[in-house]
Amino acid sequence: MIVAAHYGRLRRLCRLLLGDPQEAEDVVQEVFLKAHEAERLARAPMDWGAWLTRVAVNGCRDRRRAGGWMRFRLRSTHIDDLPLVADTPAPSEAAISEDTRRRIWAAFRDLPRRQQEVFALRYIEEQPTTDVAQALGLSPGSVKRHLYRAVRHLRRALGDAR
Amino acid sequence: MSPCLSDDALERVHADLGSIAERAHLAGCAACTGRSRRMRRDLDLITAVLRETREPLTHVAPVRRRWIPAAVGLSVAALALLVWVEVAVWRAVTPVPATMQPQEVAAILSDVSASLFSVNGDPVRSTADDGPLTLEGMARDVDSTLTGDEP
Repeated sequence: MIVAAHYGRLRRLCRLLLGDPQEAEDVVQEVFLKAHEAERLARAPMDWGAWLTRVAVNGCRDRRRAGGWMRFRLRSTHIDDLPLVADTPAPSEAAISEDTRRRIWAAFRDLPRRQQEVFALRYIEEQPTTDVAQALGLSPGSVKRHLYRAVRHLRRALGDAR
Repeated sequence: MSPCLSDDALERVHADLGSIAERAHLAGCAACTGRSRRMRRDLDLITAVLRETREPLTHVAPVRRRWIPAAVGLSVAALALLVWVEVAVWRAVTPVPATMQPQEVAAILSDVSASLFSVNGDPVRSTADDGPLTLEGMARDVDSTLTGDEP
């Protein structure tokens, strides 16, 4: 039940934060293992969503900290992520130019880790500022400042593409 | 009416960091409202790309260590400065010691020798006066010192 409700969004969040589908998959598996353990030990949280998000973000941080070597290798693509039919882009991708997409992704990767997390939770996960603050252990004011800097940086990258 | 908001101010308002005055202006200004809508569209595009598109395959940039070129440059400059000080400045201000003539060296050595082999505090006569030092002469001096005979 929990897995069905949260698997997709956690996978997307971890992929966004790690940039590696395989690593993201591993982190999500670990998150659900921890959730299972918490439930078994009768330590289930009141709000599974916030709990899972916090554990996933921490898992991604640990991965990034431990896997410094990964930054130097070519990022691989998991077999599931390869396009199945020819090279025709998905409609959403076709509507946005290749250059714009490349710039936005590069700008996102340029952001400091904390700003990436705040942006992903606030705008991609569409969580309210207070929930983002709680998940990341920040004050709401700090979340807003990180968000402001992240949006400014991303918009500039978009501006350059025009 | 207050002047239109800058892009920076608009972004602050978007992030809920704007002042009451800035928010009030935005509510009443058609131009700023239009720019704010454009900003919202940009943000929608950014989130759509990050949410729905695959990240382009790229070499992940290595951790940016901008200080490395600066450190290397500074080290090279410091080394060059050190070499220059050694070559140009230090040698110019350091007096070159006067080189001694071979005869002076021989005289000093024979004085040292005389002091070393002196008997009863009387220094052995310097051989520098007798001409240049020779092995035979030095051997004779040693023999005479050991046997107590005057050469």
